[in-house]
Amino acid sequence: MKFRKFIQPLEEGFLSEGDVIRAEGLTKQFGNFTAVDHISFTVHKGEIFGFLGANGAGKTTAMKMLCGISTMTDGQVCIAGYDLKWHVRRIKREIGYMSQKFSLYEDLKVWENIRLFGGIYGLKEDEIERKTELLLDRLDLRKQKNSLVRSLPLGWKQKLAFSVAIIHNPKIVFLDEPTGGVDPATRRGFWEMIYDAAEQGITIFVTTHYMDEAEYCDRVSIMVDGRIEALDTPARLKEMYNSDNMDQVFHTLARRAKRDE
Amino acid sequence: MKSFRTFISFVKKEFSHILRDTRTLMVLLVMPVVMILLFGFALSTELKSVKVAVYAPSMDVITERIVTQVDASPYFTVSHYIKEKSGFERVMLSNKAQVIIAFEENFYHRVVHDGQGAIQILVDGTDMNIGQMATFYLNSIIASCRQELMMESMLNATETLLPPVMINVNTKMLYNPQMKSSFNFVPGVMGMILMLVCAMMTSVSIVREKQRGTMEVLLVSPVKPVSIILAKAIPYFTLSVVNLVTIIFLSVHLLKVPLSGSLFWVIVVSMLFIMVSLSLGIFVSTIVNTQEEAILISSMVFMLPTLLLSGMLFPIESIPVVLQYVSHFIPAKWYIEAMKVMMIQGLDIRYCMDSVLILCGFLVVIVSASILTFKNRL
Repeated sequence: MKFRKFIQPLEEGFLSEGDVIRAEGLTKQFGNFTAVDHISFTVHKGEIFGFLGANGAGKTTAMKMLCGISTMTDGQVCIAGYDLKWHVRRIKREIGYMSQKFSLYEDLKVWENIRLFGGIYGLKEDEIERKTELLLDRLDLRKQKNSLVRSLPLGWKQKLAFSVAIIHNPKIVFLDEPTGGVDPATRRGFWEMIYDAAEQGITIFVTTHYMDEAEYCDRVSIMVDGRIEALDTPARLKEMYNSDNMDQVFHTLARRAKRDE
Repeated sequence: MKSFRTFISFVKKEFSHILRDTRTLMVLLVMPVVMILLFGFALSTELKSVKVAVYAPSMDVITERIVTQVDASPYFTVSHYIKEKSGFERVMLSNKAQVIIAFEENFYHRVVHDGQGAIQILVDGTDMNIGQMATFYLNSIIASCRQELMMESMLNATETLLPPVMINVNTKMLYNPQMKSSFNFVPGVMGMILMLVCAMMTSVSIVREKQRGTMEVLLVSPVKPVSIILAKAIPYFTLSVVNLVTIIFLSVHLLKVPLSGSLFWVIVVSMLFIMVSLSLGIFVSTIVNTQEEAILISSMVFMLPTLLLSGMLFPIESIPVVLQYVSHFIPAKWYIEAMKVMMIQGLDIRYCMDSVLILCGFLVVIVSASILTFKNRL
C-alpha cells in the first residue's frame, strides 16, 4: 500500500485565468484496484465539457472526487480557484450537481423542491421567492406548482432537477448522465437548457452514454480503464480517428479496454 | 445564520416527508394505543375467573366454607363438582376446569379430631404463569379459612374444635399486590414503540435517501452531514415524544397505573432512551444500503431481542443464563428496568441510576461508532 503523499498547497497560478478546473494526476485507489489512474485535464470557463467512458471506466468515480463526496488518493486538483484537498466546503458552494437519478424528492411538491434546494444553498427568503416564480414560468410548471414531483413526466422532472441544480448560479455544474431514459425530442429540449446555462457563464461538466450528445459538447474526453485516452473537440477527434461520428470514435477507443464492467 | 436557515429548511422537509406519508404516520400514532389496549385488556395474564372443579367426597361445613370462599373470589369460579376420582383427568382435558381442589375423605373429621386435613390442588400447567398464580391464590384463600376457623374455635371455647396445624401463608406481593400484569408490560411497550419509531423509521428514512440518490446531492451541497442527520432525527424525536405522552396518558387514565415516581424523571430518562434509539437507527443507516436491509436489521437485531430478552414478556430471571448475558447488550432492557423502578415501584431516580448511566454509555458508544463508519464510507 502506498502512503498518501504529504499534502502541499497548490502553487500560485496552478489554475490559469480562463480555466475553472485543473486536475493533475488525479487518482483513486480501492485497495489494489486503481479506479482512476493519474488523469490530468483542464476545463475552460463557460464550456460544455463532455466526460465520456464505458461503464466501469472510472468516470463516475472521478466525478465524485471532483464534487467532494469521495476523497482522492493522489493528485492535485483546483476547482473554481480552490484547492480540492483543502477547501472542499468552499468548492461545494461554487458547484451544482445532478445525478442520473435526478434526485428530486418525489413526495414533495414542485415548489417545495425548489424552496428546499434554495434553502440548502443558503439563498435568502426573497431570493428563493423570486427564483421559484422564475423557474415556474420558464419550465411552464405554473399549473403544477402544487403537484407532487412524483406525478410529473420524466422529462419535466429532469428539467426541474437541472434548474434546481443551478438555482444558486454555480460556477460549474456536474451532470451525471442527466438524460437517461427519455426520448430524443425531450433530450434535445434538455440540451437547450444546458446551452442556455452555458451562455450565462456556467461551466457544464457532463457525462453521457449518448454519442449524439457528445457532438453537442465543446470538448470531449474519453476515459478507458481509468485513463483519459483522448481529449479534444468532437471535430478534431473525428478527424484524428478517421470517423464520421463520435460513436465510431468512442468504439475505436473503448475496444482497447481490458477491464470488465 | 445562513447555515441555520439551511437547517430549518431541512427540518421542514423531513416533517413534510413524514406528514405526507399519512398511512405510515397513522400506524405509528395508533400503534401505541392499540398495544396498550391489547396488552392491558385482551392479553393480560392476570387471573380472572379461573375455572375450578371441586372433589369433595364428604361435603361438610369446612369444605363448604372453603369452596364458597374460592367461588366468591374474583379470581376463581367453581364450575364443576367431580364425583369420582377417576373423573379428574377428563375434567382437565376437556377444559372444564384449570384447577381441581380435592379434599380427602372425612375431611371435617380429620380436621376436628386429628388436627390436620389434607387438600390437594391440581393445576393445569400449560400456562405456567396462570398456574403459579392460581396456586398462590388458592393457598392464601385456604390459609385464611384455617385462620378463621382457629379464631372461631378460640372464641367458642366450649366447642372442642382444635385448630389445625397452622401453615401461615402470608406472602404479600410488593408493588403490585393485585399482580396486575398490565403494570409490568407498560414499560415494555414504551421500550418497543420508541425503538420502532426511532431506530427503524430513522434508519429507513436515511437509507431511502441513499437508495433514491438524493443523499448524493445533499452530500455535494455545502450542507454539513451532521446537519442532514440531525434534521432527520428531529421529526422522529418529536413523534416519539407524542407516543410517549400517549402511552403515559393511557396507562394512568385507562389502566390506572399509579405512576407514583417522578413524572419529570420518567420523561427525562425516556428522552435519553429515545436518543439512544435514534443513534442506533443512524448507525444502522451507515452500514446498510437498502431499506429492506434496514428493516431487517432493525427488526431482527433490535425489535425481537427487545421483545424477548428485555423482561417485557418473560422475566429475565427465567431465561437461560447465556441469554441473560446477551440481554445486557440490549439498551431497551435497561430502559425498561429503569421505567419499572420509577413508574411501578414509584422509587426515586437514584434507585435506577445504574441503568441510566449504562444508557448514557450506550449513547456515547453508538454515536462514536456511527461517526467512524460514516467517515470510513467516504
